[in-house]
Order: sequence, then C-alpha cells, then structure tokens
Amino acid sequence: MTDIKKLIPQRSPIMMVDELLEVHDDVARCSLTIREDNFFLEPDGAIAEPGVIEHIAQSASAFAGYSAIQAGATEPPVGYIGEVKRFRLNRRPRKAETLVTTITMGPTVGGVTIITGETVSGEETIATTQMKIYVAGE
Amino acid sequence: MLLENKYYKVLRARKEGEGRAVYHVAILPNCNVYEGHFPGNPVCPGVCNIQTIKECASLLVGKELRILSIKQCLLTAIATPTVCPEVDVEVEVSESDGKYSIVATISDEKRQYMAFKGEGV
Repeated sequence: MTDIKKLIPQRSPIMMVDELLEVHDDVARCSLTIREDNFFLEPDGAIAEPGVIEHIAQSASAFAGYSAIQAGATEPPVGYIGEVKRFRLNRRPRKAETLVTTITMGPTVGGVTIITGETVSGEETIATTQMKIYVAGE
Repeated sequence: MLLENKYYKVLRARKEGEGRAVYHVAILPNCNVYEGHFPGNPVCPGVCNIQTIKECASLLVGKELRILSIKQCLLTAIATPTVCPEVDVEVEVSESDGKYSIVATISDEKRQYMAFKGEGV
C-alpha cells in the first residue's frame, strides 16, 4: 500500500515486515519473506522464534504507522512491546517462505494498545499471540 | 548460538543448584542491530532479550532449546546498551515429559527489564 519505511521506524538489519497489504477498520494484514540476510536466520535455514515475535510486533507497528499518517503524522511512531502473552509457535519459518500476519487492534488506553496477531504461511498457522504495545510520547 | 558474543557476552555464570543459574552478561553496544533499532537511538529489541534468555536457558540445560510458547513476557523497562551495559539473566528451568518450563528475569541493581515465563523443547 505504502512504502514500508514510511510506516515503521525500524531499519536494516532488523526490518521484519516487507509490506502492509490491507487495512479494514481494526484489522490489518502484513507480509514478510524470509531472506538470506534476515537477522534471525540460523544455520539450519530457519529463523529463531523471537524473529516471529518481532515480525508480529512490526506488523502492528506498520498498522499504527498507517493510522498515524492517515491522521496527519509525518513520521512513523516509535512503539515498544510492553507484554507478549499466550504466544504459541507451531514451527520456525524457513528461508524463502512468505509469512502473512493478521493484526487485530484492540482499544488504546493510556498509550497502551492490546493487539492480537496470527501468522500463517500459505494455509498453515505458524504462530499466534497477544501483545501490549506502548507508543512513545503518548 | 545466534546472539552470543554478538548481542551479548557472558561475563560470568553462577549456578544456584539444579536447574537455576544467574548469567551476568554484557550488552554489546557495537551489535549491528542498533543500526536499525533505531537509527540514532539505540534501544535493545525486546525480542533480542527473549533470545538471550533462551540462550542462557540453553547453556544451563546443555542443549539448544526452542521456544514453543510464552505464557507471559513482561517488558518492564526500556533497556539500552547505555542504560544497562551489564545485566543479570536469572534463569530457572525444569523438565517434564521432554518439555522445559523456563522462568527468567533480566535485571540490574537499578531495575528489572524483563520477566519471562515460557515453555521450550
């Protein structure tokens, strides 16, 4: 939809979202293809589990960035993970796989937003989680 | 391991009985992760601290663990290589039916940065 660098503050080597695919009300979908130079890639050709968490967090960040820019901001907001809850990983994604993550944004109270994320590869669920995200300056 | 001697370095380890240890680690300020997290504003990625806990738990049990689930991981303060150049990673691991329960914290004398409860294999 928009250049991802306009939506998230993270940069190489730890950019874990390629694209914001779509936004509908409080739901957004983002994608990431695991490339050779992925920061979390391990010698066995799959990424370390926290890489999936970072991908989900940055998907939420891209959604928040999109909303902020729609509201008139010029820079993507810097968000911090406050809590990861009920994270389940079915398997580690491998090099060349494309992950698609659906983020559902909950209410924001006192600068803290509760989100849920589900990551799939094709039809297969890779991971699900809840997170609390803080946005700096709010 | 992915981040050992890249993002952190174990300076000393203190075993506290079976299945429990404290790893005193340096957060390495020259890790390339800070080029992108964030440009001009180095902040420890929470997920790198989760990986550090996993790797310390792996050192404790003597095999490379994988995270299956996280019941809850609280990120209680923002960590940076300047705010906390050295931290204690306290790890407690217990095994049942081939799965490892991992309870861990990252803290220094000033504050706690992370409290983790999860399951690995």
